[in-house]
Amino acid sequence: MSECIVITSGKGGVGKTTSTANLGVALALMGKKVAVVDADIGLRNLDVILGLENRIVYDLVHVIEGECKLRQALIKDKRVDGLYLLPAAQTRDKNAVSPENMRDLVKQLKEDFDYILIDCPAGIEQGFKNSIAGADRAIIVTTPEVSAIRDADRIIGLCEAAELPEPMLVVNRFRAKLVKRGDMLNKDDILEILAIPLIGMVPDHEDVIITANRGYPAAFDEKSVVGEAYRRIARRITGETDVPFIALEEPETIWGTMKRWMGMSVGMVAGAAASTPARAPEVQAVAEKEVAS
Amino acid sequence: MSLFDRFFPPRTGGSKDDAKSRLKILLVHDQVDLTPSQMDAMRAEILAVIARYAEIEATKVDLRLERSTDGVNLISSVAVRRVNARLAVAGV
Repeated sequence: MSECIVITSGKGGVGKTTSTANLGVALALMGKKVAVVDADIGLRNLDVILGLENRIVYDLVHVIEGECKLRQALIKDKRVDGLYLLPAAQTRDKNAVSPENMRDLVKQLKEDFDYILIDCPAGIEQGFKNSIAGADRAIIVTTPEVSAIRDADRIIGLCEAAELPEPMLVVNRFRAKLVKRGDMLNKDDILEILAIPLIGMVPDHEDVIITANRGYPAAFDEKSVVGEAYRRIARRITGETDVPFIALEEPETIWGTMKRWMGMSVGMVAGAAASTPARAPEVQAVAEKEVAS
Repeated sequence: MSLFDRFFPPRTGGSKDDAKSRLKILLVHDQVDLTPSQMDAMRAEILAVIARYAEIEATKVDLRLERSTDGVNLISSVAVRRVNARLAVAGV
């Protein structure tokens, strides 16, 4: 049973292509046969993120126009078994493809692949309509920003109108430090607003830039926290339940250590004070608050 | 609260509260597709109807659209000074 998932967002620059590349790698590493399809005709980028840009001969439009066989246009990623890229055309525009074409293409791909991931272009026009045409479900990528969430909401509405069942949400570029001090929407805020299930949280991390520079997605790197976030999303995509969300806390700072230590010492003072009837009112007040919190 | 927090209180009311309240309003209006001037017109018309039956306090009127799981709701709270029985009966 194979499945076609469209990775979409509405807004540009929130991480659709990075997410598609990493989820493709992560699913392939799990032993799945995966085709990642770049549906951004005229502005292809998935090839670059995957580091496969030098191997393109044919593209999606060539396949649709019958200039080559589908097999000839698929580029095999040599770093992992089972991962193939179908690149977008760079010199054509999105009107070269119709939703019908995409449905046929996905149908063909389903004969050979377990998962087909479609990297949707930004926007809600033709490219979006093409991308969702053959999809069985959608993953919506957003970031904790007003503009990205607004666009995600619009896309969720359009997915529902297109009868794509239950879109799932990836929150990208999450910054624990900003969330902690109340300057970034947290997971619960976003879920309250968008009201769709969460499939993953990806931290804002330099790995994304470094891996994009190298054309070597973070999902390949066992030590990368971004890679780990995507590997867990991939597990959830395959139906694994009980995959915990990664800890997105920043490593403890000196301030944090001091704070914890001072909190502890107040606790100790409180403990000691309990056996001493006479204690300073200030310490008593602090100690009671400690107990209460 | 630890001793540390007493000396260096954590910042409250960060910018995310602004983000959240702006988003809530924004998304309703995206969905409803009414311009601010249309909203104002609707508000004025609704209040005019109420004013035919009751004396209302114009400064204590809250009328807004809110999103819930079943769609968009029009929430209104209007302070009524007194219901004008004579006008209501006459149906003016």
